[in-house]
Amino acid sequence: MQLFLDGIFLGSIYALFAIGFTLVFGILDRLNLAHAAVFSTGALVGIEVVTRWGVSIWLAIPIVFALGALLGVLIERIAFRPLAGRHDAHFAGLISSIALGAVILSVLQALYGADTRRFPAEAFPSTRLEFLGATFSLLQLMILVISVTLMVVLTWVVAKSKLGRGMRTIAENPHAAAVLGLNVGRISSTTFAISSALGAVAGVLFTLNVNAANLGIGHAVELKALAVIVLGGLGSLPGALVGGLILGLAEVYAVNTVGSSWRDMVAFGLLFLVLVIRPQGIFGGRKVREV
Amino acid sequence: MFEYSSLLTFIALTAILAYSFYAVLIAGQLSLAQVGLASLAAFTSSLVVPNEPLFGFIPPLMVGVVFGMAVGAIAAFVLGLPVMRLRGVFLAIATLAFGEMVRIFLINQSWTNGAQGLSFPKLVGIETAWIALALVAFWFWRLSGSRMGRAFAAIREDELAATTMGINVPRYRMASFVIAGAVAGLYGVLFAHFTRFADPNQFSFEAAVDGLVTAVVGGTTFFVGPLLGSVFLSALPELQRTLGIDAGWIRPAISGLLLLIVILFLPGGLAGLIPRRRSSTRLVSDPAALPQLEPLPARGTEVMALRALGKSYGGVRAVHDVDLTLATGEILGLIGPNGAGKTTLVNMVTGVTVPTGGSGTVLGIELAAKTRAHQLARAGIARTFQQIKLFNRLSALDNVLVGGYRISRNTMLRRLVFLPSARRFEREAAAVASAQLIRVGLGDKATTAAGDLSYGDQRRLEIARALASHPTLLVLDEPAAGMNHVEAERLSELIRSLAADGVAVLIIEHNVRMMLALCDRITVLNFGEVIAAGTPDEVARDPRVLEAYLGAEGDAAATAAAEELAEVAAEAVKGHDGDAAGTEGAR
Amino acid sequence: MSARHLTAVAGGSLLLLALAACSPTPSGDTEAGGLVGAGTGADCVIEAEIPIAAAFSLTGGAAQYGSSQKNALEMAVDDLNEVGGVTYALTVEDDATDPQQAIQVFDGFISDGASIIVGPTLSNTAKQTDPVAQEAGVPVLGVSNTAAGITEIGDYIFRDSLTEDAVIPQTVAAAVEKYGLEKVVVMYSNDDAFTESGYQAFAAALEEEGVEVIETLTFSKTDTDFRALLDKAKQSSPDALVVSALVEAAVPLVTQAREIGIDAPIIGGNGFNSPALIEGAGEAAEGVIVGAAWNSASDNEQNVAFIEAYTERFDGAPDQFAAQAYAGMQIIDEAVRANCSGEREDIKAGLGEITDLPTVLGDVTINENRDAEHEALVQVVEDGKFALLD
Repeated sequence: MQLFLDGIFLGSIYALFAIGFTLVFGILDRLNLAHAAVFSTGALVGIEVVTRWGVSIWLAIPIVFALGALLGVLIERIAFRPLAGRHDAHFAGLISSIALGAVILSVLQALYGADTRRFPAEAFPSTRLEFLGATFSLLQLMILVISVTLMVVLTWVVAKSKLGRGMRTIAENPHAAAVLGLNVGRISSTTFAISSALGAVAGVLFTLNVNAANLGIGHAVELKALAVIVLGGLGSLPGALVGGLILGLAEVYAVNTVGSSWRDMVAFGLLFLVLVIRPQGIFGGRKVREV
Repeated sequence: MFEYSSLLTFIALTAILAYSFYAVLIAGQLSLAQVGLASLAAFTSSLVVPNEPLFGFIPPLMVGVVFGMAVGAIAAFVLGLPVMRLRGVFLAIATLAFGEMVRIFLINQSWTNGAQGLSFPKLVGIETAWIALALVAFWFWRLSGSRMGRAFAAIREDELAATTMGINVPRYRMASFVIAGAVAGLYGVLFAHFTRFADPNQFSFEAAVDGLVTAVVGGTTFFVGPLLGSVFLSALPELQRTLGIDAGWIRPAISGLLLLIVILFLPGGLAGLIPRRRSSTRLVSDPAALPQLEPLPARGTEVMALRALGKSYGGVRAVHDVDLTLATGEILGLIGPNGAGKTTLVNMVTGVTVPTGGSGTVLGIELAAKTRAHQLARAGIARTFQQIKLFNRLSALDNVLVGGYRISRNTMLRRLVFLPSARRFEREAAAVASAQLIRVGLGDKATTAAGDLSYGDQRRLEIARALASHPTLLVLDEPAAGMNHVEAERLSELIRSLAADGVAVLIIEHNVRMMLALCDRITVLNFGEVIAAGTPDEVARDPRVLEAYLGAEGDAAATAAAEELAEVAAEAVKGHDGDAAGTEGAR
Repeated sequence: MSARHLTAVAGGSLLLLALAACSPTPSGDTEAGGLVGAGTGADCVIEAEIPIAAAFSLTGGAAQYGSSQKNALEMAVDDLNEVGGVTYALTVEDDATDPQQAIQVFDGFISDGASIIVGPTLSNTAKQTDPVAQEAGVPVLGVSNTAAGITEIGDYIFRDSLTEDAVIPQTVAAAVEKYGLEKVVVMYSNDDAFTESGYQAFAAALEEEGVEVIETLTFSKTDTDFRALLDKAKQSSPDALVVSALVEAAVPLVTQAREIGIDAPIIGGNGFNSPALIEGAGEAAEGVIVGAAWNSASDNEQNVAFIEAYTERFDGAPDQFAAQAYAGMQIIDEAVRANCSGEREDIKAGLGEITDLPTVLGDVTINENRDAEHEALVQVVEDGKFALLD
């Protein structure tokens, strides 16, 4: 039971990162590799806000959320919008987002240095809970609940709201969307804003959970998140959650069966197999499209 | 040993890594396995590189390089078997997973010393690195103008169109993968034997991304791209050091910004800055250069026989029970309202779609599940598409040259050693392509990129591309769409002359008047089945045909066709009534 | 040619020009006798400034170590220049945690006439850069390389950082004695050279002491969530957790171990010897045993002054990386003054003769293998401070 819960909680962290990641991919068909930098930004700025300003964590999260949204808009404007209509927009978008991510990280280093930082121990109540003989922290439970809630809310937004209809139209055909009079630019920006805001908050929660944040944490999770969104099906929000949980469980059980040295081998082997056998992923209804 | 010798060596080595990415990018694929392959080659080479020259004269590095390239190529092949059918981001992520698996595997091996890494003898200096780079660059230079290079470009631009030109797409994609693997292996061995040390973590995801960035920044449409990318990215840190920019965060910030600027403002990468001709090939209008082409089969030879052919998607029968034959020298028209199954039928005939019922033989090849479009194309079928599928970034002439794939020879090896025959073969291929381009009236636009041509010109270019393969059976899917009356008439002339040469023509067209005047026989499809067949006269008078068109409500083309059909039928009736002069002179 | 092409071509030419213009002619500093002074030891006076070059990881993965090394080295040079007689001109360059960059940085240092090179930060980088210096005949002093095989690269390669082999056996022995350990779980990140060699030292020492290793668990240096591993460790209820990890991993690992209820002592190596452990893990760090090359709690006068000055200047306590970098400069100064010369060969000779030099690390001797020898110690975290384990 403890193992199972460990896996679920580990997976919910991956899912938290992956949900924002996959949102942009699903709607705009772009992999935003600056997402890792946003994740680190959220963590480091969150720490700054809490330690320097003495703000409570509950107020810090909305601040980080807003900052993330702003970053998302910037990323869309700088790294993606100028590429619209270019035949190589896919490659170029990958690389422009990597470049912008590097710039963001170096600004973070300028502001906060390269040291590993963390939230003060009292920033979040360290309540322990017990369930069927397994223990976990309140925070872990909260992360799981947030991941599931986010997935449900975002799925609803995309499926039902006016914004979501716009998003889906763009996902299907950006040209048609423009012809229909949709403000493609604004919807893209909004999508990026939501995605990055979630990424930034994920950074805060992640840091609270593991008690460490530095410039590189985003990259450490990014690779796993890539695996997660493919496992679940690129662009699928429930897929990101389920993919995250599967990866978390697979890693935990791998540690207990084949040994921890081969843990990541299991994770990437699983990813590889899924791609070869079912490239559209578990929840991917979409056709595997060419890039 | 001078101050910049390491920088210059790294420029060469990084460029070689970038060429490994370039090798797959030119065929439209994105692989992140390259550094994994490099690391596999580097570490395994440590097991075989001897201390002394082998047999007394083969230098140890040579042993390592040959071995490393073989390891890279073989590993790429093995990896390619399962992942080759993936595309785009999926291929990128599968190969990324492979790269990470290699890294974890090597870290957990005792012979690699795990994370503590392995020492290598220093066998590579600046000269060796640049000689290796020169050889790799030379290979890609010679590749770019060869038939193989054109095939890669065609696959990158449009896989489906490439396959209908007779290009065996899976095999070429695999070839690009294996070439890339060999180059990656070369890089790995050279790198380890230059830096004298390697640990598996150096060949990480980040390193793969760096390699990709180098290739893309340099540009993937010109063979010097990887070198330019490497010069730019390797020199940046050194330049910042010499300019005295403070060590620390400011440097990655500047590098990131410059990279962003390059990628946003130079769509073709750095190589796009080099002014050059759009196409490497020029129009050859000298008829003497035309090669002797194989004669077509005798007139009246049956080239296509379909028996009860059908295709269902799920429960929906798109086409069913179609019987159809076609012989050389004949023009067979296929008409019917939109959604009648015409394009599905043509797709089955050309091997693009697998039939689910009945049987068919085209040019001696059975239409079966295993039949691939490129096999039929090799046998002598050529086609155009209802929705134009040109290789948009290639010049018009290059498009037609790809069309000539079937009748041209692979010149890659000959080009590597500059055999005169390579030049001759290339010239012959260019002559065939030029002749077809001029034939459709695009001789003056040979160097224009296909994507920049007008709609009508694109239609004509597609026809020229199909003709360049010297086909026995030509399939045209709405070739006159978007053409005006005069242009359509000129097209009819062209098709008649092809039929007169002995080509079998299967044509789909909505312009009923044109079809009735052009075709020897017409088959009418509606809801996937043949509702009428016969000479144009018979078809025109068949009331079921008119009904079918009238039944297709809301279909503007069908309504127009129905009107034309009614007119022509009326004229024909009038003609039969005795006023024989009217038919020809009506318009 | 369009305007854009022109700009780009112009830009490209500028780039080349800049490279050409800035490429210095081989420096005159190495002319015979230019750096030789008069007198010996404390009386040594050298006219010219002695060029000291350092390559540290100031950006990239190892940036947090590199920056404290840079700080300490700069502080050491300032302190030594105040003494008078000999002045040092320090150049610190960034290798971006990339061996490829580091090799180029070394190339630059060598041709710019550096008398000695300090660094690089990481052992695996040193394995690629140090042969370059060895070939050029430039002495190198590693101040943080702990992996095996560094000084074997050649007779110009020295270091003042104790290897894990010099620290860990004594840590294990002390812990076994104190807690009567019989069975332990070992955890280490297996994708890092430093932590892996730390693991090997631990494994050997544990075997030596006759302690049973019930389980060996590995993780990645970028990992931060260790709960699954720790739960597995907990199942076998070990007497202690033995961990070889860098401090980024150490803090979350220790915190999470206490969080899930592992109360057994945790034993760490050099990687744990950082104020960040106490600062980051807080209460959870209590009772953690740390084998170390530097005793931050030492009442050695030099050391107290160093910690005070560093904390004041850089707004944060120094870690072992800083102390070793500072000591490195002290050692170099001694080597220079010994022959009163900043020439490469003379520094090399001087370094070989360092015996019982008082530094912030304690009394340092460079042995015949060009490795430093000084007292290593075993610390335990008590009341939010490192204290000697006794």
